[in-house]
Amino acid sequence: MRTLLYSGVAFVALTGGALAAACPAVTVSDAKGVAAGAFPQQYELAEFQSLGNCTVEFAANPASSDLNARIRGNGALPSLADRLPAEPLVMAPYDAIGSYGGTLDALSNATEAGTSDFMSTRHVNLVRYSDDLQTIVPNVAKGWEWNADFTQLTFFLRKGHKWSDGAPFGARDVKFWYDNLAVDTNVREKPKDYVLVAGEKINVVVVDENTVRFDLPSPKPGLLSHFANHYAQGFQPMHFLGKYHPAVDANADANAQALGFTNGYEAIAAYYGNSDWMDTPTPMLSHPDKVAGLPADTVPTLESHIITAESTEGRHLVANPYFFQIDTAGNQLPYINEQDELFVGESEVRLLKLVNAEVDYKSQSLNLDYAPLLMENQEKGDFTVDLKPEVALGTFAFNVTSENLEKRKVFGDIRFRQAMSVAMNRDEINDVVYFGLGKPTQYIGFSPAPSFASEEMENYMTQFDPAKANALLDEVGMVDTDGDGMRELPNGEPLVLNLQVATQGISVKLVELVGQNWKDVGVNNTVKEVTTDEFRSAMSANQLDVAMYAKGQPLAVILGNAELFQPPFDNYFNVRTGMLWGEYIDTNGASGVKPPEYVYQLMKDIDAFQGAVVGTEESNTLGARLVENTAKSLLFIGAVKAVAPIYHSNKVKNFTEFKTQSYAYYRSYPYRPTQWYLDE
Amino acid sequence: MLEFSKFVVVRGVLAIFTLVLVSFIVFSLMEMVPGDCAERYLSFKNSQGSMISLADIQAERIRLGLDKPYIQRWGVWIINAFQGEYGDSCILRLNISQLLGEKFWLSLGLCLSSLILAYVIAIPVGILAATSKNAFLNNGLRLVSYLGLALPNFLLALMIMLFSTVMFGDSLTGLFSKEFRDAEWSYERVKDFLGHVWLPIFILGWSATAFAIQTVRALMSDEIGKLYVTAAAARGVSGRRLLLRYPARHALSPIINSLGFDLNRIFNELPIVALILTLTEAGSLLIEALARSNDQQLAGAIIFLLTASIVGINFITDIILALTDPRVRRSIVG
Repeated sequence: MRTLLYSGVAFVALTGGALAAACPAVTVSDAKGVAAGAFPQQYELAEFQSLGNCTVEFAANPASSDLNARIRGNGALPSLADRLPAEPLVMAPYDAIGSYGGTLDALSNATEAGTSDFMSTRHVNLVRYSDDLQTIVPNVAKGWEWNADFTQLTFFLRKGHKWSDGAPFGARDVKFWYDNLAVDTNVREKPKDYVLVAGEKINVVVVDENTVRFDLPSPKPGLLSHFANHYAQGFQPMHFLGKYHPAVDANADANAQALGFTNGYEAIAAYYGNSDWMDTPTPMLSHPDKVAGLPADTVPTLESHIITAESTEGRHLVANPYFFQIDTAGNQLPYINEQDELFVGESEVRLLKLVNAEVDYKSQSLNLDYAPLLMENQEKGDFTVDLKPEVALGTFAFNVTSENLEKRKVFGDIRFRQAMSVAMNRDEINDVVYFGLGKPTQYIGFSPAPSFASEEMENYMTQFDPAKANALLDEVGMVDTDGDGMRELPNGEPLVLNLQVATQGISVKLVELVGQNWKDVGVNNTVKEVTTDEFRSAMSANQLDVAMYAKGQPLAVILGNAELFQPPFDNYFNVRTGMLWGEYIDTNGASGVKPPEYVYQLMKDIDAFQGAVVGTEESNTLGARLVENTAKSLLFIGAVKAVAPIYHSNKVKNFTEFKTQSYAYYRSYPYRPTQWYLDE
Repeated sequence: MLEFSKFVVVRGVLAIFTLVLVSFIVFSLMEMVPGDCAERYLSFKNSQGSMISLADIQAERIRLGLDKPYIQRWGVWIINAFQGEYGDSCILRLNISQLLGEKFWLSLGLCLSSLILAYVIAIPVGILAATSKNAFLNNGLRLVSYLGLALPNFLLALMIMLFSTVMFGDSLTGLFSKEFRDAEWSYERVKDFLGHVWLPIFILGWSATAFAIQTVRALMSDEIGKLYVTAAAARGVSGRRLLLRYPARHALSPIINSLGFDLNRIFNELPIVALILTLTEAGSLLIEALARSNDQQLAGAIIFLLTASIVGINFITDIILALTDPRVRRSIVG
């Protein structure tokens, strides 16, 4: 028996004498005669009621109270009408109105490795990319507005929207995130690129309780798409974290000291992890000695689920009883009551668990190598595997600012990188690793290739030409002086590339084949599998000869994020090279190594590109030059663009096929996991 | 009695000395791994948006005290280690004592259970094998124990997991079902734990048993042919009484002696089995820390604890031996 609760709005509509019927259960596959709204597959409540000439009757998950009781720090649960915003977001499910219950089982590699796939299933942000990957649609914000020259972006928030602890959410939470966390040097020493416009800060203005405006120092049309596809949510709970922030609360340090922290910033770090990633350890993991005395186990969220247990083995989450979305029949989303995440570091064991149907959804870290075994077991395990193109492609980045000066000289020599590129037998790699389904491609930054990227650049130096590779290596001065069949460095020291593979980023088989190709032209190497943490750590410490990882971003992301074109050409979590170039630019030349001219050109062009309107001639010229400089520098040598598996249990309903298998657009976020349900 | 106390004290001091020596070796090995905690800590900070310069790393070294002389840092480390304080894991950024918590006891429990399982089976079976003239039984035992010795543990684990996956649709991983993973200890959780823990104990126990059977059998075979056994038999002692009172008693001393060594061997095999079975205990953390993430602090702490356990077990077996074996006792008491 489902309890029906009427919201204030619906109540007024009914008592106001409107004879509107209950709304039809509109789905994407069956619109039931209701016209599409302003945005695909979703409506604002008033819009839906007027298009359907009907009244939505709200209904809560019967388990809400029980789930709420498991969120430590939450009080008693008010009625649904008091939990939903006055203007909830109405989602049309893909196939059917779902039923409540169940636990979504997921696999990650470790606390902060291989987790984005699972995080995306509960993710929210101000806006979202629809499943066509082109249309930006409302999410936490019900709407937005640009001024004419793209220097002011205004977001309209939902009246009555609440955090997972029931406290009101509003414009000041956005400003708090920006001013007091994202650009506060006590929280983060240096603001992330994505919160800056051409290196300068944004002025965030609270227009009123539910309206917030970003005043930009220069045009950045990509800022909106940033909030649609990025992991960083543009808000944090000021009512909760502000108590410990000295700029917000005069008693911040005292409040934190009462809980056992040295100061307010330490309390903020404990909850916020000083990162916009949502997988930084909660106090349950990082402060097990203090957590019992803290007001809550984890920071309140707007996401569909909230963490209730965390250890080095995994995390457990329950549905957020204050979540702001409903389906077209008025049921509060999400349908799925609980989520469980298990950490398994060993890729073979993960595969076994997938084959064994112990997981409900997985795409991250699934290489195509896994596809045959998975597909063979689809029927038996009652799951489905879709093969979808990846956005990122496997790349090899030589350390052009290696600590070893002789290596730095060789790796920095463009002829060496050209040799390494043409030494790779991409057709063989495609056949062996990708069953011939992939496409040999050079790395050009953008992926998929926009119209301004020429085919010539996509295929730059991708031909297999060992003779040319040998000739180029001879030119560089690398000859085999000791007769062991392998080339030495020009100064006579032996060279053995240490290829450290993190399987989260690239297939071991691919690296082994490339390693063999390189040995065939006399460049010796060894292949070793390491964890992603170790890979990142060694890369940051500038200890790798070659960094290998999937790389490439869609145009939509690059519009909001310049990192791919500024040394070291990405952030901590991805593949980088030229660490000392980055340091040079960062310190205005005080330390590090001065980068070559084309790097400055890339940096100049990306700033101009982000300020230009996509599709204009200006934008296309800049884009084409970015592509050309990226391809020809061969700082990242592309291999083969692949397809990769997406795995889901057939129990997961309202699951639509993804367009790509990639991190871009934040994995499952465009496909609305909040309306998935489990048919058990 | 005084002599005996002296013996215990001397052994105790020796044990602590061994531990200090091992800790020195562990600490030296940790020093030799490229990259230190300051670098690793800062490389994480890099993820918060700060670029690392060599100056930053140096400043962090000073903050962590890594610029102090090597011997001085070892001194501080060993004093802290004896108090159960191992600092923070560089990569996981969690306090190691809290991180290890019950995990180390789980590992030790797993190893001790396997050891007990091994000897509960090996002692009677080994004696039987040494005395039985039944060719069929002997060959059968030999086959089982050779399999146990020859089959790598991780392969056995993978085979059992694969078999279980195909036959029962359960990959048999972990130490707890997910509903008990984060729960408090309770009767249900213990039951769930026992339902999972038999597999690693069985896998670790098999090769340990095989090894122990061979040891017991060889020792018994040696003793059985000796004159004092023949003499006892001539005096009319026979059957089980003969076996247990004479050769078995003599064979027992070297077995007690080797318990510490056996525990060490089982613990050596634990990490790889734990990794395959995704057991959440110290062994899998050790292999992560050593082989994958170069987490020096964490690896050092686990190795130190392990060594302490083995040294402790050896100390206890020495005492037991002194109490049970009159020859040893006489050599102490004089």
